[in-house]
Amino acid sequence: MTTTTITTVPTTKSVRKRPIGFYIASTWLVLIVFCAIFGSLLPLPIWNEGQYDYLGVGPFSAPGHLLGTTNDGYDMLSGLVNGARISLFVSVISVTVGGLIGGLIGITSAYYRGKFDGAVQLIFNVMLSIPNLVLSLALISSFAADTDTQEATVARRMTVLIFSLTIVIIPIVGRIARGSALQWSSKEFVLASKSMGTPNLVIIRKHILPNVAPAMLAIAFLAVGSVIIVEGSLALLGVGIPGGASWGSMLATGRNYLEFSPHEVYMPALAIAFTVISTNYFGDYVRNHLDKRESKI
Amino acid sequence: MSTVIKVEGLSVSFATPRGELKAVRDVSIELQEGESLGVVGESGSGKTVLSRSIMGLLPSTATRTGKITFQGEVISELPKDKVRDLWGTGMAMVFQDPMTALNPVRRIGDQLTESLTVRLGLSKKDAKVRAIELLERVRIPDPKSMMRKFPYQLSGGMRQRIMIAIAVSCKPEMLFADEPTTALDVTVQAQVLELITELRKEFNMAMILVTHDLGVVAGHTDKIAVMYAGDVVEYAPTRELFANMKMPYTEALLKSIPRLETPTGTRLPVIEGRLPDPTKNEPGCPFANRCAYVTDKCRAEKPPLTDGGNGHFYRCWFPIGGAK
Repeated sequence: MTTTTITTVPTTKSVRKRPIGFYIASTWLVLIVFCAIFGSLLPLPIWNEGQYDYLGVGPFSAPGHLLGTTNDGYDMLSGLVNGARISLFVSVISVTVGGLIGGLIGITSAYYRGKFDGAVQLIFNVMLSIPNLVLSLALISSFAADTDTQEATVARRMTVLIFSLTIVIIPIVGRIARGSALQWSSKEFVLASKSMGTPNLVIIRKHILPNVAPAMLAIAFLAVGSVIIVEGSLALLGVGIPGGASWGSMLATGRNYLEFSPHEVYMPALAIAFTVISTNYFGDYVRNHLDKRESKI
Repeated sequence: MSTVIKVEGLSVSFATPRGELKAVRDVSIELQEGESLGVVGESGSGKTVLSRSIMGLLPSTATRTGKITFQGEVISELPKDKVRDLWGTGMAMVFQDPMTALNPVRRIGDQLTESLTVRLGLSKKDAKVRAIELLERVRIPDPKSMMRKFPYQLSGGMRQRIMIAIAVSCKPEMLFADEPTTALDVTVQAQVLELITELRKEFNMAMILVTHDLGVVAGHTDKIAVMYAGDVVEYAPTRELFANMKMPYTEALLKSIPRLETPTGTRLPVIEGRLPDPTKNEPGCPFANRCAYVTDKCRAEKPPLTDGGNGHFYRCWFPIGGAK
């Protein structure tokens, strides 16, 4: 034991060799997050203002339009930068809110067990059995549908979209949190803390949560990826955020001009793919890290 | 001296798919202030369940009957949250495996000050000062830097000292030590036991020391209860027990401890056979099948707990040295 202690202590502080994929994924994610936050400050053409000199030009072939323009004359690059903001905003908000609610429910039900746990499990299973696309589609079409007289506003669509995705995330994170919390609740240190008279809420906050958090974080990264995909699918089905704002909506609009300007489809598609791959990679990385830490105990 | 804990007719059973498992059967013990009791027995004899059931730490699958009085208050009938108020400040437990009884992701200081702030209501600053004192008290070198360490950076002996420091942090009147040295190296076992005894005397705590090693309890307890298959089969003051052993089971346990003076090549005597199935209620003495002195009476009828004088109780028809 003492020898492992000596060798492991310095390595946790010093730079550990990380796989190349880690650097690629983190660079991409940092770039996307940067675009999402500071995108409007970049010296780019306004994303939804047509430039009629160039219509549907491919990438690297028009001055001032690095990635070309759409068939309507919108700048691709600024469209993608703006799309990053919308796509990330939708996915990060829904995953954070859904993850917090789901995690809270999962952890408490695993800790207290009994009837409450049984009911929670039943609800989670029912929620998981509904295909998430169908659920989102149903919610959006009933609460934020276009009517004959007026189109649904962007804000309303976005609120309902985020709400429906949050509902999808709750049981996913909740089940992972419950499983992990179940395992940690049966550990002896929980009993030891209980035997000192520590209240349950303190035990949950100080003993269970720090141990469950890595598993929740891993699944949250994976969830961000899938939420971006769901958002894109909804846009393709015609119930996305109107006005071609998000990556999914760009895809949906570009689909109509596939034979004239294919880059209008593959640009946002690539952006989605890279982001999803990166978040998945990050999720796996966090989870592997967690395993390493667990094996040390 | 006042009675700290009095247990009368305590039985514990678990509902299992194979039927009711009786882990502890009709056990009665009493401890005065500062007094210590050693509970000895092989694996599965119910000694851990006994200590946990007295404290009320059993899972909900367990059913407990009997009367437990702590400091003059009957706690066996109290609601769970009232009993919980006694944990830590009234009674505390040192667990068997210090590797799993500390949270791997929290610093020693945080775990040590937890009960001080939550249970005693100390401020963070005071709790820290108190925690460092406690670490000094359990002879941890450089307690200040120890506060910042994580459990994986410590050896088993160190961790068990931390566990002991946590257990005594709220000055309980009653300490349960559930095989506190089993998971430790032989070299640190003696030190840890010495430390527990020292703290017990300093804080005037009553203690129940659970172990499977008769040698461990010999020097550190006032009384000994030998358990077999959920029964207390022999209960006596420590000196009396070793001087005047009545139960064939206790004798067999003592014989199976390796000794230096036995000639090389001698086989270590073991107790042949196994514990009886705890879900079955067979007649006769539960030790009958493994006993060297077994008779027909032993197989037919279960012996009652007999008073042999000098506070010595035993559960045998034919005690060693004859009945009184």
